[in-house]
Amino acid sequence: MITGNLKASYAADERVLDNRWKQGFVLACAAGIAALAGFGNDYVILIACQMGIMLIAVTGVNVVIGYTGLMSLGHAAFVAIGAYAVVIFHNAAAGTIPAPLLTLLALPFAVTVAALIGIVVGLPSLRVKGLYLAVATLSANFIVIFLIEQDAFARWTGGMNGINTPTANLLGWDLDSRREQFLLIAALGFVSLLAAQNLFRTRVGRAFIAIRDRDYSAEILGISLYRYKLMSFAISAAYCGLAGALYAYFYARILPEQFGLDLSLMLVAAIIVGGMGRTMGAVFGVIVIVMVPEVIKVIFGGIAGGGAELAQIRAPVQSIAFGALIVLFLLFEPFGLTQIADRALRALNRWPFARG
Amino acid sequence: MLSVRDLYLSFGGIKALQGVSFDAAPGQITAIIGPNGAGKTSLFNAVSGFYRPERGQVIFDGEDIGALRPDRRAALGIARTFQNIALFRGMSVLDNIKLGAHTRLDAGVFDALLYFGRARAEELALRREIEERVIDFLELDLIRKAPVSALPYGLQKRVELGRALAMRPRLLLLDEPVAGMNREETADMARFILDVQEEFDTTILLVEHDMHLVMDICAHVVVLNFGQQIAAGPPEAVRRDAGVIEAYLGAAA
Amino acid sequence: MGQFLQFALNGLMSGAIYALIAVGLVSVFKATRVVNFAHGYLIMFGAYFYFTFAVLVPQAAWAPEWLQSWRPDWMVEMRADLPMFSPLAAVLDWMANLPRILLGLAGALICNALLGMLIERTLMRPLMGQSVFAMIMLTVGLISILSGTAQLIWTSDAAFVPALAPNTPIRFEMFGATIFLFGADLANMLIALAIFAGIVAMVRYTRSGVAIRATAEDQSTAYSMGISVPRVFSRAWVLASTTGAVAGAILATRNGVSPALGLFGFSVLAIVLMGGLDSYLGVFIAAMAVGVLEALTQWQLGGEWAGIVPYVAVLIVILIRPHGLLGSKEIERI
Repeated sequence: MITGNLKASYAADERVLDNRWKQGFVLACAAGIAALAGFGNDYVILIACQMGIMLIAVTGVNVVIGYTGLMSLGHAAFVAIGAYAVVIFHNAAAGTIPAPLLTLLALPFAVTVAALIGIVVGLPSLRVKGLYLAVATLSANFIVIFLIEQDAFARWTGGMNGINTPTANLLGWDLDSRREQFLLIAALGFVSLLAAQNLFRTRVGRAFIAIRDRDYSAEILGISLYRYKLMSFAISAAYCGLAGALYAYFYARILPEQFGLDLSLMLVAAIIVGGMGRTMGAVFGVIVIVMVPEVIKVIFGGIAGGGAELAQIRAPVQSIAFGALIVLFLLFEPFGLTQIADRALRALNRWPFARG
Repeated sequence: MLSVRDLYLSFGGIKALQGVSFDAAPGQITAIIGPNGAGKTSLFNAVSGFYRPERGQVIFDGEDIGALRPDRRAALGIARTFQNIALFRGMSVLDNIKLGAHTRLDAGVFDALLYFGRARAEELALRREIEERVIDFLELDLIRKAPVSALPYGLQKRVELGRALAMRPRLLLLDEPVAGMNREETADMARFILDVQEEFDTTILLVEHDMHLVMDICAHVVVLNFGQQIAAGPPEAVRRDAGVIEAYLGAAA
Repeated sequence: MGQFLQFALNGLMSGAIYALIAVGLVSVFKATRVVNFAHGYLIMFGAYFYFTFAVLVPQAAWAPEWLQSWRPDWMVEMRADLPMFSPLAAVLDWMANLPRILLGLAGALICNALLGMLIERTLMRPLMGQSVFAMIMLTVGLISILSGTAQLIWTSDAAFVPALAPNTPIRFEMFGATIFLFGADLANMLIALAIFAGIVAMVRYTRSGVAIRATAEDQSTAYSMGISVPRVFSRAWVLASTTGAVAGAILATRNGVSPALGLFGFSVLAIVLMGGLDSYLGVFIAAMAVGVLEALTQWQLGGEWAGIVPYVAVLIVILIRPHGLLGSKEIERI
């Protein structure tokens, strides 16, 4: 008998955090983030910011791969579009729009542009799925990066050499330190997660899952495959666009090669490690994917104090570890870390009456 | 309610339907029977929109729906269950049933992302309605949170019926609702089908091999053989029809 | 016109190499229903193995001298009398390298076959029967593992490797235009085409080819008919990795040895989808077409545009014919 999960109203049963363990976990996370913003040192803040940006992008990838079941290996393209949209917007509007409003307008601009291009890139999903879609999106990624690199657009994008990025400014508040940027990233990351969680307890999100599980059956229930597949691509591209926009504000300079296949694979890897089709999957996955290279860096630093030769083999080892993570999770825990967390949570919930 | 007029459908050389015509009277249960490969499921697919017939019309409520995609037909109130259960295996019973109500809800993307406000009100109203009209009715209350993939076959069939009911269908297509069930489960399902007809005033079209069920609960029977319609009428008349006995029931009957 | 012919011919020559790479992808797909996203990295390993056995091993202190450069007296004599650019001189230079070329090819074939078997046995077989997504993502994970491993093993930079055939320049007239080719490129094309044809014939006419086709049709039925499906799987992987080894050796002589060779896999993936995953003929047509299109793009728009030709082409083909030029469409039953 599982105790403590009885509800008296439908509203209580429809809540996301329907037991005290989950509520406690979220509160603890919020407290941890607040403490980090206040007391974390520069390195910790840097890592936390990287995680926050990744988290938003991975949540987007989760929408399209994890929930809608459409394969995509090209989502780095949307991150690129978000990042470049911010830079171009700032450069184009610098004189005409007052500086305190620029960021507030650039963010929605970047998100909208990414969503629109997401619809275009999603078009093949209406004709093909699975492998074909994976290659189609991969191709789209190559093409987007190629176009950004072209001399013809270098006036706006900086071409192969990349371009300097502006500093975020919220109503006169210059976010020129990592700590201040962390606040923005953490806030937007939280809102993104909440929005994704909300999406999947309403008709729109359910329609996505229905398409993933059995597309013809979804259609028979009145779900338009055309509309919802494109909508899924648009939403996920919007998330990645937001991540890209924050990326541009966070780093001093962006280069086209940063948004290539490697990033796309990283986003997908995070969702595999974390758990596809689960909101918390993105969180767990991002923590692992960002932390593993850092841990390897620390270990290598510990061995030789960072000798030149060891530094040379660090990058390949990180790459192997990254691949091994994907492979091991697919082989041994295909539903990712959320599955492990679920088991732990169930055990906690039953404690002390039963185990397992 | 539903009129099928002179339907022709073929796949390559296989003629699945050759001139099928019948009417399903409002509020009545109409059965489609015939040996395996007679074209029963093809007929269902033509009505629900998966297959485009080469010739003929599908008229629903006086309107030709032959050109509509399946999701548009669903929006008109045509619900369906499948011969091989087609539930969403990654979801709970409750979510599967909620999906049935998709066309009746109207929260958009932005409502959904925001949740609080319109989407929440809609979801809570839906939950109440589903609990009271579907889950209670089909006696699914103990398993509402269970993942459908963990349920036994008979229960899955019932959940699929629940999902179709959540649509508040005006026409319900049931593809072999009792196939593979034992006698007790069959009796339960028959009771549910009759209850649906009575309480929701739904027009029902069903494909079934279980002759006892067909003869017991249907008002009208259409018999197909090799894509051709060989008889139609009340169960008693069809049972005595020489052509049907010859082609379908065989000498034993 | 002359330039057009020249570029088209160059395109056909790279198209043949695409076809050689593609044959491995298609064979693995036919047998196992898995598309190997890391195929390009298998090819990169083939290139590195060729480099190891054709350059590093002969250079080693313990290697006999004739392995590094085989120059019997008669060859030195003949060579001495020849002018700089005579075709015979090129042939003699090639013969001097022949021992290490053969060692390189043999080493690449054997090592790559072992690598293919290892991957199939340890990673792909445990996932037999799992979702397509899991299988594809596993090969995606393999990309990082293979490229990281290669960087760990071969730290040295790209080096010159001996061409597979005498690299004599060939000049001839065609429709009134002068065409200029290198002998090694021509030989590469012939090797690639011969292997492609050989594999197609094998799959069509031999017992193991029938086993592959039967497994492609229906795994469990093939199993119950006495075909050892795991053996078919491992043969398909060996086939892919050995053809990949030859392709890797050829690419090493054309483009040099570097981790960037892995990227060829993605262009060829696009080509394979364009042609239709399970059709050798369709894939062959697509490979040749992309080769020619790339060469013509290079001629008209410049080298960097050639790189995205396969990706643009695959998007267009997928939107018009979702299952490729000649791929078979799976009929969905409800």
